[in-house]
Amino acid sequence: MSELLALLFFPAGLSLLAGGLVYEWVDRKLVARLQNRMGPRWYQPLADIVKLLAKEEVIPTGVNKLLFVGLPIAALAGALTSALYVPMFGLAPSFSFPGDLIVALYLLSLLTLCTGLAGSNTTNTFSLVGATRTLTQMFSYEAPFLLTLLGPALAAGTWQIGGIDAYAQNHLLLLTQPIGLLVALIGLMGKLELSPFDSPEAETEIVAGALTEYSGRGLALFRLGKNVELVIGLTLVASFYLGGLANPLEFLLKTGGLLLGLSLIQAVMTRLRIDQTVGMWWRYGALLVLAQWLLLIVTQGTVS
Amino acid sequence: MIGGAGMANNLEDRWQQALEQVKTWARANSPWAIHFNSGSCNGCDIEILATLTPLYDVERLGIKLQGSPRHADVLLCTGPVTRQARDRLRRVYEQMPEPKFVIAVGSCAISGGAFQGCYNVIGHIDEVIPVDVYVPGCPPRPEAIIDGVAKLLQVLQGTEVTKPL
Ligand code: SF4
Repeated sequence: MSELLALLFFPAGLSLLAGGLVYEWVDRKLVARLQNRMGPRWYQPLADIVKLLAKEEVIPTGVNKLLFVGLPIAALAGALTSALYVPMFGLAPSFSFPGDLIVALYLLSLLTLCTGLAGSNTTNTFSLVGATRTLTQMFSYEAPFLLTLLGPALAAGTWQIGGIDAYAQNHLLLLTQPIGLLVALIGLMGKLELSPFDSPEAETEIVAGALTEYSGRGLALFRLGKNVELVIGLTLVASFYLGGLANPLEFLLKTGGLLLGLSLIQAVMTRLRIDQTVGMWWRYGALLVLAQWLLLIVTQGTVS
Repeated sequence: MIGGAGMANNLEDRWQQALEQVKTWARANSPWAIHFNSGSCNGCDIEILATLTPLYDVERLGIKLQGSPRHADVLLCTGPVTRQARDRLRRVYEQMPEPKFVIAVGSCAISGGAFQGCYNVIGHIDEVIPVDVYVPGCPPRPEAIIDGVAKLLQVLQGTEVTKPL
């Protein structure tokens, strides 16, 4: 039985990787078009990944070899595992148990954690600064992001992703919790280190951040992990706030719409300094979400 | 039995060939570049930056400027090599993972150009590291730089027969 499940999951894993590449291309293409450029060809992300996989992997001196090789694998594995609990492509989640929302969110954070550890594992100064920024950013967006995804859970009265999705299909949470959607979307950008929040990998300041020393396979795995996380994050937000994901068509439309929003923000915003990022999250993000929570709890108390 | 072994070998060969083709395709479609100035007057560097602007949009060819030598496939070198820059140039080159390629951009990178014979200049790029493509000009236009990269990719794919570089 378990072998059967593994076999069933394997193509799903492959399709998820392929989906990640497609979403990366759509994102890059949209940003390019918004900047009045042609943008990359449709197979660009695939070519990048294959090339990186075929390249030599340099293991620099002064690193812990086991960690250096293992961290990218752990990062990708974490991202892929969390897909098990999420209604990917509008299909029902493969696994489900009460409270799987928390597990999925922590598995999603594994990528960021691994990136930070990978950066601090090397002796490169740029990597160290990048790792510090990555972890700092994680501590700033993680709490508001978590709170925004718990808002729908609170409204639905269950912490099971499938249950929240079913609830959201009948209640458009976009209307009742608009702040949540906004903060969740921006939190997702922080998680993926997209444009206004890309100071952890600011190429004009610290080369490539935590992944400066990675070449070849390790870099490819981290990139894949990030792509997978983009798809999963979009799925979660779309499922919770945009009225659930009942079928693949809805999945495509809703995540595509969200991706357009992400690209728009990326194209029009410039990079924030790391202290501005932290300040923004704690001063506005967290407070706004908490206010919405309070409202939610009060209204729920009076309604029921 | 012998025939069977031959078949297996044949299959393996074909598999290897297919794998090589995929690798070459990926390499030719995703050249990530890093730019290093080993003593140029900045003219060539400005042209390289102009190449990366939305007007020329090299992302449509898969070219991307990388900050870290570890991520790069193509080293864009400008200027002559000065005494101070020699070790840095060599180190940047050695930090890049295989397979790696070097494009010398500008007359100075090719021959020492205007800086030939200066007391602080060692000479041109290929006295320090092996160069695959030379892009002449003082400075070369962005179109010429893109053409240099495209030539490199053609050589990679074996579609252009060139004299040994
Ligand atoms: S080739 Fe011309 S523009 Fe380029 S570095 Fe030399 S002098 Fe400057």
